Amino acid sequence: MSMDAGAPRRTGWRSMPATPSASESSDRSIVAERIGRTFGDLRAVDAVDLDVPSGGVFGFLGPNGAGKSTLVRILTTILAPSEGRATVAGHDIQRDAAAVRHSIGVALQDVGLDKLMTARELLVLQGRLFGMAGTEATRTARRLLETVDLADVDPRKRVGDYSGGMKRRLDLALALVHDPGIVFLDEPTSGLDPISRAAIWEEIRRLNRRDGVTVFLTTQYLEEADRLADEVAIIDRGRIVAHGSPDALKKEVGKESVTLAFADVGRAHEAERALDGLAARSQLTGRDGRDLVLYLSNAVDVIPEIVRRLDGVDIALQGLSVSRPTLDDVFLRATGVRLSEVDEAPPDSGTAAPGTGERS
Amino acid sequence: MNDILLMIGRSLRVVLRQPAATLPSLAISVFFLFVYNSGLSSVADLPGFQGSYLAFILPVAIVSAAVSGAGLAGQELVRDVESGYFTKLLLTPAHRLSLIWGPMVAAATFLVVQVALIIVLAVILGLESATGLPGLVLVIVFAFFWGMAFAGYSVWIALKTRNAAAAQAATFAFFPLIFLSTTFVPEEYITSDWLRWAARINPTTYVFDAMRSLLIDGWQARPLLIGLAVVVGFATLTGGLALRAARRATQLTR
Repeated sequence: MSMDAGAPRRTGWRSMPATPSASESSDRSIVAERIGRTFGDLRAVDAVDLDVPSGGVFGFLGPNGAGKSTLVRILTTILAPSEGRATVAGHDIQRDAAAVRHSIGVALQDVGLDKLMTARELLVLQGRLFGMAGTEATRTARRLLETVDLADVDPRKRVGDYSGGMKRRLDLALALVHDPGIVFLDEPTSGLDPISRAAIWEEIRRLNRRDGVTVFLTTQYLEEADRLADEVAIIDRGRIVAHGSPDALKKEVGKESVTLAFADVGRAHEAERALDGLAARSQLTGRDGRDLVLYLSNAVDVIPEIVRRLDGVDIALQGLSVSRPTLDDVFLRATGVRLSEVDEAPPDSGTAAPGTGERS
Repeated sequence: MNDILLMIGRSLRVVLRQPAATLPSLAISVFFLFVYNSGLSSVADLPGFQGSYLAFILPVAIVSAAVSGAGLAGQELVRDVESGYFTKLLLTPAHRLSLIWGPMVAAATFLVVQVALIIVLAVILGLESATGLPGLVLVIVFAFFWGMAFAGYSVWIALKTRNAAAAQAATFAFFPLIFLSTTFVPEEYITSDWLRWAARINPTTYVFDAMRSLLIDGWQARPLLIGLAVVVGFATLTGGLALRAARRATQLTR
């Protein structure tokens, strides 16, 4: 299986553009300053600042339509920002787009593969377009097919006959053909079954840990961001609402969270008043606001008091659960809703305007 | 340049994998040649008609092959845009215009092969070219330019609409181009005024004229120059539109 030794493969044969700007060796992979993008009346991305360190996995978490894909398209040079500036691998995304393209590998949300071609043909063509000679492109194709576990597939099989998981893995391989130092993965596991998802996660970890590739990952799955990312930015309606390591973000919310369920939103409100002062912070949430979440440092000590007070005002509890705060709580705190609930809304047009030109 | 060759190679390979997209246009052209030649060849007995009807109808088969073959360019491009592969290619350092040239040249190659096959078939059926082999080659050149003009048009529509159905619908321009012309009889035999008028403003008429002059009358400067002006003019016009649409689609400045 797999790629040669563990050293970061940032140098080597690659035909890097001849502008080794000072920042190429910088420890920041992506720096964005007040990037914005408007489609008609829709503010898809709103004054986003980003500072992504090299060598880590950066998770970009948000619900459908939050602007994740739009931002990825901007940073990968296929969509111009309405305002702001950004550098990727030290190159300006607008003035030096060609250099950016050499430095990054991209797997977009809508897997873009020609279904009439075979995996090998796609990989070889990709390599050659990145300037490899034929034999080298063939060798790379063979190696990457091993890496993403597609080497055993019938080489004559056309991509149109691949399963969703196989297509994602091939798409990932295509993003790696030219040995990029930064890889953008836009919702790499959305719609995949758990096994395929685990395989992609494994590959992302290997890329990052073993090959030293910086990974910029967008996802709407809390678990994915939590498991993979060293650092997370949470985006909602085009704006970054929280930014930090998953642990630090969760600590900010509180040590533990207690979720209380009530019969209706009115009771939940009354309960919030009755419990005032017990928790460091509380928040109504859930469908129709029937849930009340309390963030505190010592749930076990406080629960009896909660029950006593609710008894005192004669409000019946319908459920109670204690958990450690998750990124969902971070999201809830920043936006007032749970990520899992936002996603039940139909995706709006902000994320993935397919094609390239957008509205002209 | 290398990029363009790679993209052409890829387009050709992919086109060959879609017999459903390529064979019908060849079949239609052969149909024109056989059916019209068999059914209408007595037209050649009319007073004043010069040459064989086979030589007269051959340009119709050729232009039909060229126009429908060229439509492949737009169809291929729409296929790439719809699959998202177009975006994937935009993420490579490949020259932007190689993404357009691939389908264009593949379609052109395909139509030249098709046209050559049809001419060979006509020769087997007894075609005698008044200008010999050089004339037949020139007929292919005319077909090539006319096909490119139509390929430019189909690429333009494809990039404008990014929609397979629209690109498909756009190929219906094929019908007025082929039939509102001196398709079956020379102009002097067209009895309806509106059709004669339509034939005069239809650029295809001048392509037919040029090809027929080569096949029937021998070397004559006038129809060849007019025909050349028409095909080059149209190819330039639609090629320009296609390039502009391509720049827009790949530049993303807004």
